[in-house]
Amino acid sequence: MALDEEVVMWVEKYRPKNLDEIVDLRDVVESIKAFLRTPKTMPHLLLAGMPGTGKTTVALCIARGLFGPNWRQFTLELNASDERGINTVRDRIKDFSRYGRTGFGDVPFVLIILDESDQMTGPAQTALRRIMETSSRTCRFILICNYSGKIIEPIQSRCAIFRFSKLDKKAMVEHLKNIAKKENISLSAEAAESIVEYSEGDLRHAINALQTAAVYRGGTIDEKTVLQVMGEASPRQVQLMLTKALSGDFIEARKLMYDLMGLYGFSGSEIVRQMQRELLKVSYLSAEDKADLTNIIGEYDFRLTQGANNDIQLSALLAQFSKFGKSKEKVIGESN
Amino acid sequence: MKDDILWVEKYRPKKIADVIGNEEAKATFVDWLKSKRRRKKAVLLYGPPGVGKTALVNAASNEFGFTIIEMNASDTRTEKTITRIAGPATSFVALDKFSTETKGNLLFLDEVDGVFGKEDRGGIGAIIKIVEESQVPVVTAANDPDLQNLRPLKKVCELIRFRQVRIPLIIAVLRRISSMEHVDAEFEALEKIAQNSEGDVRSAINDLQSLTEEKRVLNLQDAMRLTPRSKNIGMYETLKGVFSAKSPGEAAAMLNRSNADYDDLLLSISDNLPLRYKDPAELGAAYDLVSRADVFRGRIAAENWHLLRYFFYFLAEATTVSPQSFRPFGFIFPPIRISTLFWTKNKRVTMEDICAKIASKCHVSRRTAKQDFVPFVKIILEKKKSNPIGSWLKLDAEEVDYLTKMNRF
Repeated sequence: MALDEEVVMWVEKYRPKNLDEIVDLRDVVESIKAFLRTPKTMPHLLLAGMPGTGKTTVALCIARGLFGPNWRQFTLELNASDERGINTVRDRIKDFSRYGRTGFGDVPFVLIILDESDQMTGPAQTALRRIMETSSRTCRFILICNYSGKIIEPIQSRCAIFRFSKLDKKAMVEHLKNIAKKENISLSAEAAESIVEYSEGDLRHAINALQTAAVYRGGTIDEKTVLQVMGEASPRQVQLMLTKALSGDFIEARKLMYDLMGLYGFSGSEIVRQMQRELLKVSYLSAEDKADLTNIIGEYDFRLTQGANNDIQLSALLAQFSKFGKSKEKVIGESN
Repeated sequence: MKDDILWVEKYRPKKIADVIGNEEAKATFVDWLKSKRRRKKAVLLYGPPGVGKTALVNAASNEFGFTIIEMNASDTRTEKTITRIAGPATSFVALDKFSTETKGNLLFLDEVDGVFGKEDRGGIGAIIKIVEESQVPVVTAANDPDLQNLRPLKKVCELIRFRQVRIPLIIAVLRRISSMEHVDAEFEALEKIAQNSEGDVRSAINDLQSLTEEKRVLNLQDAMRLTPRSKNIGMYETLKGVFSAKSPGEAAAMLNRSNADYDDLLLSISDNLPLRYKDPAELGAAYDLVSRADVFRGRIAAENWHLLRYFFYFLAEATTVSPQSFRPFGFIFPPIRISTLFWTKNKRVTMEDICAKIASKCHVSRRTAKQDFVPFVKIILEKKKSNPIGSWLKLDAEEVDYLTKMNRF
């Protein structure tokens, strides 16, 4: 049976099962423990914060805390960015809250965890607000998002809001060391710090990197291994596309862009976001250049939301990069 | 000297006899309209543009005293609007029905083959309902009767076919109009215009008017200036035209005449820009303009077609950033996106399946699975394909194979 199978991915294997195991986040944990002592008083919750800071983990801990080992029967997990529309969400919530499942023991409700809820459009959120109202006697919602500002006011005002800040680096290092110990991996202090540095407060990313590094060189992780793994796991096509565009090779850059969309199914906004992240890492550009280029990326990120064709907007963005690269080359050429 | 009024309006047939050609269709229509007990309550007049469908309906109504209630493609024709406008017009028989002056209303739905797509949702259904309940004759007209969505309409209508009008008949009309307008026209010139029209009387009259706008003499040489009114200015000709245009205005004129699909046109102009502009500064400028055109395409969506002019404006500007630097080049067509995404669809589906599996196991969205998990899972499986991670994620052999072989993002 699936329950007994050995969990292989470390992010799941070492995901805290109860609130006491959670890394950092003391304030959040204390308030939520209070809700669990008297479940009847638990309001809807809105958990906001950057990726890998423990929002989903906290939500799952709440589910376990409320319903015990059979929590799955009383919990509906939805991901707003995957569900096609508000109607699917509505239908699944309706189906779920029907058929007598109205609670467990002294918990008079079932739980609905809606992840990435800031991906929902305004109208969808308005519809969600309505669903929250009509089902409030039998359902509690935990909404999870990166930015609480993208959630409409009426929903925010119905929720207790918890903010998850980036995790403390020391706590993350300790956590990685713990995992390494349990997995019999030799992990040097520098390597652990280096993983944490790369992961920018995203514990999920750090643990994935740790597991990958562990298989990379047969169970010993030093700083060099981490560098190699991070290099391999970073979006190289996006970096290459940036470099090609900046060097004026527009056609090659555009080809890479079509690969990203065609082969891997990345959307325009995903590619733009990665470009911005990678741009900051490019060593040969000055801070000023990066600011100018970020401004251009931002402009086209906006046009993406207005336009009809992602690939046209991305091509146009790459053309601006080529233009920028060429103009810099001229300046450098003249100064020589 | 310029006329304020279009000759096609000025000389619109007032009587049935003035409508030229298509004698059989005319007779069938008049019989249907005159008969007291119509076998079918509606007719569908179909045939190429400019051959007299609308003219016949107007002339016949005029002659028999019907009041025309008309809706054409420039009105939005959702179920609601059709029912709102056509409903009352067809449900009451006019009060003065018995007077000799008028026979009441006649509902005329022109260009019904334009009723489709999101904006006209339910339109055809509403038309059929109107036909079934109508107390007054309903006339519909279309260019292309073979369209899938017209099929239900054809069942409730009597079909009347119109053909291209024969050249000699068109020449006769052109001669008559020339003499009324005091234009001294050579026969060969009129013949050329008529031939060029391909049986479209309206376009022939328009051509005659435009060729004689500045003078009252028309010879064959003038008529030779007519660009073939070929109904098919395809993608290739359009691209050639817009990229070699000397000015944005010239490019815009080309875009207006083109038959190519707007979206294909947008994609193709985008695709071909780097072949056209070798200088990155020019390319950047042109792409900025195409990007703006695309923004307007987004705003047009399925309904705001009045924004089309802005779309065309930016496209025309984009193709004429530096007319002097134009050199002929081979066009990329069909659009890269269509060829690329078509060929890679299978791969994308595999990718999506893999991400869905990761997502359900690890409590993340498919998007997060792709960005934050796939790169790591790939490396782990590259090291050892049999790593239990594969089976734990329920990836099958093919998916494991795909992950290890694909290029990195």
